[in-house]
Amino acid sequence: MIDRRQMMTTALTLGAMHAFPQLTQAQARRLVFATFTGSWEEAHRDVLVPAFRKASNNADIALDPLLSVDQIAKVTAARANPPIDVMLHDPGPALVAIDQDLVDDYPVAQSAHYKDLIADAQGAKGPAPFFQVVGITYNPDKIKTPPTSWNDIWKPEYKGRVGITNLNSTLGTGFLVEIARSRGGSEANVDAGFKAIEELKPNLGAVAANPGQLATLYQQGQIDIGPGNFNAIQILKARGVAVEFVAPKEGAIAFKTTIHLVKNSPNKELAFKLIEASLSPEVQAKLMESPYLIVPTNTKVKIGGEVAKALAKDHDEMKKKFVFQDWAAINKQRSAWIEKFNRDIKI
Amino acid sequence: MRSAPVTAYDLKLALPLAGFFALFFVAPLLILILVSFYTDTSLTQFGLAQYARFLLDPFSLSVLVSTLWLGVKVTLLCLLLGFPLAWTFVRSPRLAQGVLMLIIVLPLLTSVVVRTFAWIVILGRQGIVNNLLLSLGLADTPLRLLYTDGGVVVALAQVQMPLMVLPLITALSRIDPNLRDASSALGAGAWRSFVKVILPLTLPGIMAGCLLTFAAAITAFITQSLVGGGQMLFMPMYLYQQSSTLSNWPFAAAISIIFLVAVLGAVTLFNLLGRLSRGYAQG
Repeated sequence: MIDRRQMMTTALTLGAMHAFPQLTQAQARRLVFATFTGSWEEAHRDVLVPAFRKASNNADIALDPLLSVDQIAKVTAARANPPIDVMLHDPGPALVAIDQDLVDDYPVAQSAHYKDLIADAQGAKGPAPFFQVVGITYNPDKIKTPPTSWNDIWKPEYKGRVGITNLNSTLGTGFLVEIARSRGGSEANVDAGFKAIEELKPNLGAVAANPGQLATLYQQGQIDIGPGNFNAIQILKARGVAVEFVAPKEGAIAFKTTIHLVKNSPNKELAFKLIEASLSPEVQAKLMESPYLIVPTNTKVKIGGEVAKALAKDHDEMKKKFVFQDWAAINKQRSAWIEKFNRDIKI
Repeated sequence: MRSAPVTAYDLKLALPLAGFFALFFVAPLLILILVSFYTDTSLTQFGLAQYARFLLDPFSLSVLVSTLWLGVKVTLLCLLLGFPLAWTFVRSPRLAQGVLMLIIVLPLLTSVVVRTFAWIVILGRQGIVNNLLLSLGLADTPLRLLYTDGGVVVALAQVQMPLMVLPLITALSRIDPNLRDASSALGAGAWRSFVKVILPLTLPGIMAGCLLTFAAAITAFITQSLVGGGQMLFMPMYLYQQSSTLSNWPFAAAISIIFLVAVLGAVTLFNLLGRLSRGYAQG
């Protein structure tokens, strides 16, 4: 007969297994892919995961939607037995992950798709399955003449109607670097950019805490123009908000979002298959369609739809129209810039 | 055999909770303190550099002071608006009390994010306040209400109001109504009765309410950053910036320890005032 003590032990064990499922899966756990939150997770769940399953004979996979910084924190906390197998990063955090030795080299020789990626998307520590693009967002109901240049944001008629983010985000930092470059600065020296933001102050209606908040401010009529992420704007547009995206004539800022094999991952082979799927022309072509509109990096994908209309009609034009920034140089000084922004930018 | 007295309790019953706290609160706190004493981001050398960096930097100190000052402003506004509300509640008939209580507690039942977004709609360039001012001809162009100090204080006061009103209601409803009658029978006017009788007796409730509101207001990351925007820096955002965006864990840890100590200092001050008030109320 089962006595009370035994019963208790069983109950506790079951409880513990429920609370910490990793206990039972320590040996063989399923593949964990840390994607970004929101629409990225949706896109990956709908398109990338089915493609991966097809390629891997229905292997089990879990999506763990996290911000880049949180992915890094999670992997750093358990380097020897990381809870994530594949990470996705913006350019700044990607370099941090590489510096901290959290990622493995991508087995380029075994890859079927790596050689087809455009040069800017290749990288031995992790290739880029898509680009994120920053251009000018505006409200077409309020602004009848579409802006064409970054400089248009400084026009006096937009007094109190411009929105930017602070430098916590890739968007805010990229924008600062770009306006610095357009005024004679560079990644190494953004003083011209800070001066330009100083001059922008009368126009600033909002310095949002993050890009997500910035996007919602168009909806509320708080702001009518500012830098914006192509994909974030498409989501708003799909929900019926009056916003348009234009690539400025100086070139749209492009960030490569890279995908990485986590060092010491117990699922190396599956992780490789997932990354291969993300680079494949089939997956990228599908992700380029509505509603995802994710910018492909594989040259075998024929660019079409909204991406062709708003950004570039083929990969040659992409190379000409996209501006890539040197994030290794940016990362070195980012902390100093954030501090300067904290102190100097008060609206 | 003598059985244990029924009113005595076994301390062992508290062990599971104590263990839980030790594991998930005390241990992480100790790690946080440890991390704050590293001088470099790769956590190799010990020193006081992070604390020196904060405490000797006028800008960082101004962030700390403005955060605590924000807490004081929100607390005072909550007290000013909350006391009459609590007073009305206690004096209302039972049916009205039910409705009032629902209204008072309602903010607690909706998410902070939702409540804060409502304030963005209210205070925005095309928000309710600005539309009203423009249509009444009181302003020519929309006023800037969002991303201002005043906006943050008002939004926080609304968001944290229940934390002030509920303890006040408890304190006010414990007062024997005869005391007020006695006071007026002895010739005191309404104002004098209030200052000499009601206020001292509600002081414990006021202290509890202030303490809760203050602590909630200074740590309200979401409301501070959504209504204050990306350029108004308070301690929670400062901490987030250092730990998340810059991965500077030692400095972030030092910021949180300094913030913790500052808040504990404020709490001790409140408690001291509370104890003095108790003496005043009974003396």
